[in-house]
Amino acid sequence: MSAVRRMRTTGLAAACIALAVAGSAAAQDGGEVSRMANGKPDLSGVWWGGGDVGGPGFRVGGPGRGEGPPPATFTDLYQPSAAEHAAMLSDKDDPTLQCVSTAFGTLNVRMYDVGAVAQIVATPDLVVFLSETFHGYQLVPTDGRDHPPLPPARRGHAVGHWDGDTFVVEVENFTDDTWIWAEGRVSFHSDALRVVERYQRVDADTLVIDATVYDPEVLTEPWVVPTQTLEIAPFDMLFPLDCSGVETQELMDAAAELDE
Amino acid sequence: MTQTLKLASIAGLLSALLVGPAVAHHSFAAAYDTSPEGAITIEGTIVNVRLTNPHSFFFLDVEDENGAVVRWSFEAGTPSGMLRNGYSPEVIKEGDVVTISGFRAHDPSKPNGMLRELVTADGTVYGMFGPREGPVAR
Repeated sequence: MSAVRRMRTTGLAAACIALAVAGSAAAQDGGEVSRMANGKPDLSGVWWGGGDVGGPGFRVGGPGRGEGPPPATFTDLYQPSAAEHAAMLSDKDDPTLQCVSTAFGTLNVRMYDVGAVAQIVATPDLVVFLSETFHGYQLVPTDGRDHPPLPPARRGHAVGHWDGDTFVVEVENFTDDTWIWAEGRVSFHSDALRVVERYQRVDADTLVIDATVYDPEVLTEPWVVPTQTLEIAPFDMLFPLDCSGVETQELMDAAAELDE
Repeated sequence: MTQTLKLASIAGLLSALLVGPAVAHHSFAAAYDTSPEGAITIEGTIVNVRLTNPHSFFFLDVEDENGAVVRWSFEAGTPSGMLRNGYSPEVIKEGDVVTISGFRAHDPSKPNGMLRELVTADGTVYGMFGPREGPVAR
């Protein structure tokens, strides 16, 4: 090995060590991650984007609203026929107007559903995701069982397993009557929808979520969701948030008539 | 006491108001005209504040151009978000004079709107989900 190449190699190794040390230090900034009886990280806690929407501290958990090109969205990947169908839909077709959950979630965080805060209750054999909206929940068994032979569900059916310290959730068996998001953002999907998520509690205060959304019936390729970084919230329980679907129905009906 | 109705497009406020969709259980755009033409500012007297799920509502009496009192309602954020942002039921009470900026219903004959900003008589500013400034409830 020449002196120059050796020097480059040494420099690269030093840089890698420095990065690893820096990363390790950063990972411990929020404190040590507690572990469950099976030795896996305990994901339990209330998680959010640092604040409630519009309140102090709130931030979006991932890229997309800052500078630079926005990352691809679910609907950017629609096949031509799906894009054609989407063009015929609008706000008034949003299933959440009828208090129906989303298939994924606002702010690109599935456990939020229609909201901006969620809670995880974790045990060695079962992880429970709780959404503040509509009393939503999802049970994720981690005991090795397969997806249950149940009818399709709006939030799908989930099973989980651990890949080292990363919690992997696979969700499938969705109905096709929901949208990926809410707030009138057209984002229908098919019943072939499948979601794979990876949760990492990188320190006591920080949860990093990566997700990939598959829907070969309507997408040209899987949608890689921008990485979401959530913070532990300074409270330990969600509030109940019911939905009647009627409080502004008269206004929405009037708006629909005006469109005709 | 009622206050004079002020209904106007406030072009200068739009850059502050149109900051993207609020996270909510439904699309506000389905019920309210969130275009620049739909922007309104109204001054009136609070008659009721409903901290109800999924969204809160502010009701106020407003005097129109003919001197008639019209009861308006403005839809705001989730009670959970408002309370965690530091709002409490004692903050805005019956009889308080407030100025609300937001967007009217698509049907302009209806005295309903979506709240984006509420200013009390002492100048305190609240957003859709409560105080604009202040500590997060802990």
